[in-house]
Amino acid sequence: MPLRYLAFPLAALAALSACGERDDRTEITVQRFFGACQAEYGDVIDPQEAEGECGIITAMINQFEAENPDIKVVENTVFWPGYDQLTSQIAANGPPDVVTMHSSAIPDYEARDLLEPLGEDLPALGLTADDFTAAARAGVTVDGEVMGIPIDVWAPLWHINLNLFREAGLVDSQGRPIMPRSTEEFLEHADRFVEATGKPYFIQVTTKDLAGPSRIFQVYMMQQGDPVFPDPRHADFDNARGREVLKFMRDVYAGGYSVRDQDYAANVSAFLRGMGGILVDGTWMVGQFDAAAHDPDSPLYQGYAVRPVPMMFDGPPVSLVDGHNWVMPRDSSRTPEERAAALRFLRFFAENDFQWARTGHFPAYRRIIDSAQWQGLPHRDDIAIITEIGQPLPNYVRRQAPIELIVGEEVSAAFTGAKPIDAALRDMERRTNDVLQSF
Amino acid sequence: MLASQQGRRSTWDRWSGMLFVAPYLLLFVLMLVVPLVIGFRLSLTRGDLFGIREEVGFANYGRLFADPVFIQVIWNTLYFVVLTVPAFAVLGLLLALALNQQSRWAAVLRAIFFASTVLSVTVVTLIWRLVLLPEQGLAAVLANAIGAEPVAFLSSQATAMPAIAVTTIWWGIGLPMVLFLAALQQVPRDLYEAAALDGASRWRTLRSITLPSIKRTMVLVIIVEIILQFQLFGQAQLLTNGGPNNSTRPIVLFIYEAGWKQWQLGYAAAAAQILFAMIAIAAMAQYYVSSRRDAA
Amino acid sequence: MSSAAVRRVPRAAVIGVTMAAGLMVLPMLWVLILSLKDSSALMADTTTAFSPPWTLVNYANIVGDGQVAVWLLNSTIVSLLMTGGVLFLSSLAGYGFARLEFPGRNILFIVVLFGLAIPEQAVIIGRHQLFAAAEMHNTYTALVMPGLSAPFGVFLMTQYFRAIPREIDEAAMLDGASRFRVFWRVLLPLTVPAQATLGIFTFFHAWNDYWWPLISATNRDMLTLTVGIAASQQNFAQAEGLGFLMAQAVFAGLPVLIIYVIFQKYIVRAVAGAAGQ
Repeated sequence: MPLRYLAFPLAALAALSACGERDDRTEITVQRFFGACQAEYGDVIDPQEAEGECGIITAMINQFEAENPDIKVVENTVFWPGYDQLTSQIAANGPPDVVTMHSSAIPDYEARDLLEPLGEDLPALGLTADDFTAAARAGVTVDGEVMGIPIDVWAPLWHINLNLFREAGLVDSQGRPIMPRSTEEFLEHADRFVEATGKPYFIQVTTKDLAGPSRIFQVYMMQQGDPVFPDPRHADFDNARGREVLKFMRDVYAGGYSVRDQDYAANVSAFLRGMGGILVDGTWMVGQFDAAAHDPDSPLYQGYAVRPVPMMFDGPPVSLVDGHNWVMPRDSSRTPEERAAALRFLRFFAENDFQWARTGHFPAYRRIIDSAQWQGLPHRDDIAIITEIGQPLPNYVRRQAPIELIVGEEVSAAFTGAKPIDAALRDMERRTNDVLQSF
Repeated sequence: MLASQQGRRSTWDRWSGMLFVAPYLLLFVLMLVVPLVIGFRLSLTRGDLFGIREEVGFANYGRLFADPVFIQVIWNTLYFVVLTVPAFAVLGLLLALALNQQSRWAAVLRAIFFASTVLSVTVVTLIWRLVLLPEQGLAAVLANAIGAEPVAFLSSQATAMPAIAVTTIWWGIGLPMVLFLAALQQVPRDLYEAAALDGASRWRTLRSITLPSIKRTMVLVIIVEIILQFQLFGQAQLLTNGGPNNSTRPIVLFIYEAGWKQWQLGYAAAAAQILFAMIAIAAMAQYYVSSRRDAA
Repeated sequence: MSSAAVRRVPRAAVIGVTMAAGLMVLPMLWVLILSLKDSSALMADTTTAFSPPWTLVNYANIVGDGQVAVWLLNSTIVSLLMTGGVLFLSSLAGYGFARLEFPGRNILFIVVLFGLAIPEQAVIIGRHQLFAAAEMHNTYTALVMPGLSAPFGVFLMTQYFRAIPREIDEAAMLDGASRFRVFWRVLLPLTVPAQATLGIFTFFHAWNDYWWPLISATNRDMLTLTVGIAASQQNFAQAEGLGFLMAQAVFAGLPVLIIYVIFQKYIVRAVAGAAGQ
């Protein structure tokens, strides 16, 4: 009896192993987030024809494969940010050959000696570290060692529905959006906006995807000057600055100026449907929103603008940035051929970084930032200032990914009113310190 | 006589029976006992998935009980168990009572109530997310249709866990229903005939014949559901990610986050031991209570 | 049970249960119609799903993509292997514990019973480390092996073998059959109902397993359906959109639902059979 049960799976297994065809190409595994969109872009090999992070990276990888017939790319798409899987893979001695990693996560892996330094490979890529922009270079450099090849530098931005701004009279004589210069002005504008349009002024993540609230909080903290992380083992949230930020965020929410009950997907959808004035989202959406601004059916038609998060506190001009990079996890079973193929892949990405910058991200290379081609892309002059004032969280801070979730959870609990501000700040600091002191 | 028989048996005879159980026992040791020992051992250390860094004794356990997030997580888990297990028992029984008949219609309904059980957790959460979404979800669409204000179930502390519980009950109601149906069919028919002759009311028949006869199944359902629901993970991870304000984070999600996101494997392993202890205690308590009542 | 003595269920209850069944089905129908709409239409307003035009484009995309088919195949292979393995091992062990004498038998059986109380979550970290040390993650073996150690099957089969009258094997032994032959030819065929129960339980358990495949199968080609869909679920803001996602849900759910509808009589009976033990 059990034999009959066994026969089928065994036959299936045999059939499966038999159908693996012979293939002499060198195989490299490329692991990335940015989503899966094979259905729409699986056959596109010209990145110029693609839009958005997912579309462009899919097309770029397709193009690389088309141009390098001796290399087979196994594309492993993981859900954002993918570190749970990567950690599992490294623990199991089966990491990918190259993998996307935030600048803020590199120090964690570097500290455990899990990544290959790539400084000595730069010549093979036709690069020197001086080719990177300062922010990109800082993002991949740990203790003077280049640990990855930067893809971009990104920042949270304010994406603006200019059509609604016009309705609310929040545009100047040249038709540019008027940005608040203080928290009081923010609330004033918000009031005017809601009055005129009946829609919320501010579209922000309030539930589930907690990186959003965390980033808004960190930006406002940075705008007040003093560092949030005085040293590698301590966070300093529970102070007057923290209270001021959370009180402001609470005022925005309680005053009815913000959307409610929205996760990240709902945010993007709400903005595209013209359901609010300002969306807090990253550089990666600029390309897609600009495309919507050229679509007569879109509520954003001829009505999209984008700005760095405006300075509303008393500190120096600053913007929070992070970056995406390719890194190469250590793997004793990687052959020299595979390593060489992986380097060719990295070289291809370095050479074609302009395509990636079309998403809205800042290019990681000086020559592209300086090029007329990039500067000629829409909206870039409105946000280019970030390449000068952008600052990451200090790279001595480990575990930034889980800390982002902790901070985001407490921030959203505070501004939605689920938890008193003082308690949220206390818990945020205690939980963050717990993580910072756990290793 | 037993002794003399054994004396005659060769060593092969004595041990050959072992061959039948050996393959399973090997897996039992390899996949259950060894990992249990590894897990306990890790709970006494500080380290990440890449290796142990130092021995810390029982410090992780001390930290856990001083960690308000973990305490909250235990309450969340218990709350979820309290929301779901009685519902499974009561609704499962009601459905079984209503559908314990041989009509074609009852068969169709039985099939419907069990159908969602075969779906995987990711499909279930996908479905329910599209029911519960505050603007685009089915609940909101229906609320708008009757002119009511849609509720954002998953982003309010008061409704998030109940929403996850409803999702879970929708997913798993088939199992208790079927178990009760099986039990109902084994109740001796002459008991009912006697009751009918006595002119006992429907309610009385239920109380004095049906319920006592399916007591064992009731205990089985409760124990099985306690063990299952203590292990809540996928629904919470995929629907709310533990929020809002840590109100839906169950122990298993806590373990996953500590081990895989925060790289605190020892801490995660200690939390896993506590989950183990809680399930064992809950199941044994339930068993103890029910067997005492049996004896009384 | 059709006997008149079993009281008829009141009409109100039948109506109530029918309405409840409607509530059970409603979410599934909702997802089905969503899957038949273009994603961009849904983004503007999900109520557009109630009116035409409907489209099969989401399903065409799934078929064109091929990923979901790979996940489906993986889930099928893993579930069948685990089911076959559990049936085989549990039958052997159940017979051994129920019928054979060997030193330490009772103690071993009690140890196995204790295993029933160990939840997967308590051992998953240790398992992960174990397979990592053996460099066996991202294999079918890694996905299947942990499931083979579940003590439930052994417990069930032992009870079942015990319930078979001893005279049956004694008669066969007198005919000169070997012990294995008695097990294989005589007793095993009698355990078909228990095998069905155990097989169905194991199959659905394997099919729905989430946490273990999530941390063990991390390479694209080894993902099971459950994990693969979780991945696209968390990506959907940047990826294919709602209609596609719903089509994935239908595509993933429909095969098991169809299998269930075809075999539902046996499945319900088999699950019920477990209660008798």
